[in-house]
Amino acid sequence: MTKHAPRRLVAGILSLCSLFTGAVFAQTDHYRFIMVSHIGSNDPNMNWLTGSMKTFEEKYPGVKTQYLSTNEYSLQNFIAILNQAIATHPDGIAVPILNSQALQPILDKAISSGIPVVAFNISDPRPVGQRIKYLTYVGGDEYLTGVKLGEHVVELANAGKIPKPTRVMVANHDATHQGLKARARGMTDAMKKINVPVDELIIGADPAQARSVMQSYLGTHKDVNYIFCVASWSSPWAYSVADQMGLKPKLADKGLTIVTVDESPDALEGIKDGKVLECNSQGFWLQGYLPMEILYFNKKMGMSPISDVVTGPIIIDQTNVDEWIKFVKSVVGEEAYKKQLTW
Amino acid sequence: MRRFVKRSDIGIIIGCIFVFLLFSIWNPQQWFNWGTISNVGQYTAILGLLAIGQTFVILVREIDLSVGSVYGVVGITFLGLESSNVSVLVSFIVAMLLALLIGLVNAVVVIHGKVPSMIVTLGGLFFYRGLIYVTTHGAVAGTPQPARENWLSQFFGGHWLGIENGFLLVLLLAFLSATALYQTRFGNHLFALGGDPASAESQGVPVNRIKASAFCLSSLFAGLSAIVTLANNPSTNVSLGTGMELQSIAAVVVGGTLLTGGRGTMLGTILGAFFLTAVRSEMIALGAPPSWYIAFVGIALLVIVTINTLLAKRLKAA
Repeated sequence: MTKHAPRRLVAGILSLCSLFTGAVFAQTDHYRFIMVSHIGSNDPNMNWLTGSMKTFEEKYPGVKTQYLSTNEYSLQNFIAILNQAIATHPDGIAVPILNSQALQPILDKAISSGIPVVAFNISDPRPVGQRIKYLTYVGGDEYLTGVKLGEHVVELANAGKIPKPTRVMVANHDATHQGLKARARGMTDAMKKINVPVDELIIGADPAQARSVMQSYLGTHKDVNYIFCVASWSSPWAYSVADQMGLKPKLADKGLTIVTVDESPDALEGIKDGKVLECNSQGFWLQGYLPMEILYFNKKMGMSPISDVVTGPIIIDQTNVDEWIKFVKSVVGEEAYKKQLTW
Repeated sequence: MRRFVKRSDIGIIIGCIFVFLLFSIWNPQQWFNWGTISNVGQYTAILGLLAIGQTFVILVREIDLSVGSVYGVVGITFLGLESSNVSVLVSFIVAMLLALLIGLVNAVVVIHGKVPSMIVTLGGLFFYRGLIYVTTHGAVAGTPQPARENWLSQFFGGHWLGIENGFLLVLLLAFLSATALYQTRFGNHLFALGGDPASAESQGVPVNRIKASAFCLSSLFAGLSAIVTLANNPSTNVSLGTGMELQSIAAVVVGGTLLTGGRGTMLGTILGAFFLTAVRSEMIALGAPPSWYIAFVGIALLVIVTINTLLAKRLKAA
């Protein structure tokens, strides 16, 4: 199922692109779309989004895209940037719904003033009738990410390939991030089915502090044998803490097992080296490209998808990691891939 | 006894004795566990080094809000040079020179530009953090294995008789800093300037030189703290040092140094760093959500500063 995922993803990208291609649409239309994002230059995942937006611009000359982002984990700063973007009256906005309560009044105002909005990366978790009236959502399902990663753990544990979970610690660096909370909730629900407790630990973004917090927690919660890092860059920190504490985090030792997210070099090389069990891809490239194309066709022809476009999760583990490493290197480049490795 | 009670760090000494006894009774198994001692020791060292530098600045009635970002930019420079195959020693020297340069820039703008240090260092906080994002594009490579095994990395990040070298280093530097404060002319000048700048200047204290030294020491200690962190654990992220400036100020203030300058001790600062670290560690161990720690820092600040103020008033009345 997951083995051919990168090929399928590429095929998916191509077929979606071809859906909208044709000389007739390549005519020049002078639109300006803004992606307001929480994935800033402090996060290497930004390169997927900006790279795919560049591809979009090349395909639709005349349409300008702009990527605005915060560089820290601050909802307040994100709202300030979003307000600034709306004030410039763009032809469309793509935005992650970091916090539906906080963003609702701002986006309602933008939508009622005629600016089409596409949600990307993080959706409004409320039912369709009650959620913010954006055109559609393009992105992974954060809740499903936690569920699928958790279910995969249970599946492998039942097959006797990895230890059965006894207690899971979720390492979360940002207590205000709705998407990270949803990942944690997904893992909690997956573990609930086998009666395994899950604790969410807010570790903070500073590495030294995060390590200290994890060590304090693991020192008293001896029954924890799985750590779910909701950001891949914190997985090496979790590994080093567990290793220092003698908790045997190497997969082969069947001690403490680390699970993480995203197709980042840290996650992929962690899997390859047997330090991380699994991660997922949420189709970041599509999350940059598709919102722009949806905004374009909405502006030009009034079209909008009738349902959300879910781009992930795709599970990556030992069985398909080599293929994913090749794929990611082909997108970000060999040098950039190496630079992102923090192990 | 009266002399002891008059100390500016009396609040934190009482606070530390109280939490030590409390945790010894409440959760002795965890509190006297070697893992906890090592964890608290290592983070006390990191925060303590930052706070020692901050103490020098606060003692002269200034503040350094840039230390968190300086910690980040110096640490990432150190790592960047190491991963470009520059020797660990040269990487260390260049990184520390960068810290010194940042301290000098802060001092020059504050002294000659007559801009309040809060504004100058707030600018630094944003500028150096931005510099990290721009230069790294969000990714920081880990240290190559030979660099991790280098003698200098081991000196800053290793162990001696099971004790973290970083912890021993902070104790040594706190002792040297305290000696500099109480036994040297530099220390006299620092207290004089913080106590009454006009009077200090009229008595020939080289005000500009003393202030510049304080800012340089603050940046140097922030840089050293980053190197101790990374030598101990070289896997990091661009978020390195986020929020550390406020933690360092909290440690200094909890430690009894007055924000109005002229009064404070290095012992208080180190105990402040220990107090904040130990309480967070135990709060998590006892099952309190780590987010409560932020609320706790606020309460601790209020309680300890109130104890200090009340004791000072009583002594004055007596």
